[in-house]
Amino acid sequence: MKRSMFLLKGLCVPAMLVLGACGCRTDVVAPEPVQPAPAPAAAPALGDVFYDFDQASIRMDAAEQLSQNAAWMQEKSSKRVVIEGHCDERGTSEYNMALGERRASMAKEYMVNLGVEPERMTTVSYGEERPFAAGSNEEAWALNRRAHFVEE
Amino acid sequence: MRYCKEIFSGVFLVMALLLLPGQVQANGDDYIAIRKEGSGKIALVLSKPAASGGKESGWAERLDVESRSGLDFTGLFSLIPPPLNVAGPRGSSSQSINFGALNSVGAEFYAGGAVVQKSGNVVLSMEVYDTLGGRPILRKTYTGKESDLRSIAHAFCADLVELLTGRPSVFGSKVVFVSNRSGFKEIYMCDYDGHGMRQMTNTRSLALTPVLSPDGQHLAYTDYASGRPRLSILDLAGGKRRSVARSGNSIDPGWRSNAEVATTLSFQGDQEIYLVRPDGSLARRVTNSRGIDLSPSFSPDGNKMAFVSSRTSAPQIFILDLQTGQTKRLTYNGSYNTQPSWSPQGDKIAYSTMEKNGEINIFTINTDGSSLRQLTSGSRQNESPSWSPGGDMIVFTSSRQGQKKLFVMNAAGGGQRRLLQLEGEQMQPSWSLRLK
Repeated sequence: MKRSMFLLKGLCVPAMLVLGACGCRTDVVAPEPVQPAPAPAAAPALGDVFYDFDQASIRMDAAEQLSQNAAWMQEKSSKRVVIEGHCDERGTSEYNMALGERRASMAKEYMVNLGVEPERMTTVSYGEERPFAAGSNEEAWALNRRAHFVEE
Repeated sequence: MRYCKEIFSGVFLVMALLLLPGQVQANGDDYIAIRKEGSGKIALVLSKPAASGGKESGWAERLDVESRSGLDFTGLFSLIPPPLNVAGPRGSSSQSINFGALNSVGAEFYAGGAVVQKSGNVVLSMEVYDTLGGRPILRKTYTGKESDLRSIAHAFCADLVELLTGRPSVFGSKVVFVSNRSGFKEIYMCDYDGHGMRQMTNTRSLALTPVLSPDGQHLAYTDYASGRPRLSILDLAGGKRRSVARSGNSIDPGWRSNAEVATTLSFQGDQEIYLVRPDGSLARRVTNSRGIDLSPSFSPDGNKMAFVSSRTSAPQIFILDLQTGQTKRLTYNGSYNTQPSWSPQGDKIAYSTMEKNGEINIFTINTDGSSLRQLTSGSRQNESPSWSPGGDMIVFTSSRQGQKKLFVMNAAGGGQRRLLQLEGEQMQPSWSLRLK
């Protein structure tokens, strides 16, 4: 089953590309593409931000993402988000719980300063309890030190 | 250092153990055991209780096994095998005890007795002698049901340890901890030696940082049942659970007394430590500094609180005097010191340090900042120290075998060993006081 789907997809994608290139409007007897078309690059998207070890301050790269997140929230003014604070596995779990909360609230504070209403954002810390990346190396740790934005 | 201890009437003790009310005869002598601090183990000969009849013999065997493993667990005793000619046929009369034989094998104390059946109950009569003077220092009867043999043996062990050391024993104490064995982190409770484990929460989310109130009536912990970390207080007798109905996150509670538990709350924006009543209502706020304030642990009189703060940047341990409002920094060694645990004797604080190489190790320090002592080393992460009721042992988490597991050691770091053989990870142990 999985294999036949894969084959279908494999046939379908080049077919779509050819059809798209010639610009013809014909009925295509083929399933819809599995992946939705990517959103235009200009539209702001909600994304996560990352932190340095034992730090909750907003880095330069995080500031850019938070501006995008703020724009997203201004565009979708009925939406609310939960900001989850996460830590890497190093250190002790109670302190990481506190640090995770600080990361989430620093991100929230930054967004408030950009004009997002504080009532639309709640923060929750998961400390080191819900890592995104497995592994005990700097690559995994860097991914796990994050504020994760979840649409409510 | 002199340890002295009065022998109290055993009546309330037996009742407190919830054993059946029965005949209790305790002698009211005063006894003073003198031992130098740091001297070796107490040399004890423990004879199996005398018994006549098949049923009683079985009880005697079980009582002997439970007493021996209990006393062995404490690390306080050197249990010398009884000399063959130690006692006469009854084994419970001072006239028939061969003190010469006991002295020749190096015993300082001798304990023996008899077990009989009375109205269907187990009646254990024990006597303890100082072998040098040949004087009885404890004479007491313990009564209970057949199903209570372990607690009957432990009631005797508790009396013996408290008599000889002047400190509360581990017997009757509980350890609460977190395990992920069900697939979720939930709270569990077991006896001091890992026996009788039971699951206390079923949040199917995350339950963390359990701690029992000094009287054992309430269990405080943090759980995510509401979607964010909240302080829960469970009444163990009634089964009723209260939560702190405040916004923000709650982290890592510690009891100040039976009437107040402290925890970090963030409903006012910054993380501060507050005192909360067992009904979940807020008593008052005790810290006021920007940044992380965390992990309260109180002096036995409840007047001082050790806690973790990031006020000087990296996490360090501070002590707040709740009467004067003065805060002073306790730790200066290392740049990541967390998880303070105030000893029940009041003189020491155990905590963990994360080293530059990623190891975490347990240290103890006097409350005035002197006598820093490292208890673990070269064995990965060693965390979450918590003292035994007498302050002579510490339970902690270690990842030395891979997964996090519970370990115990003595207060100087010796005798490090696994506490529980249980699948999954175990962490955040907290040792209760001896529960009456």
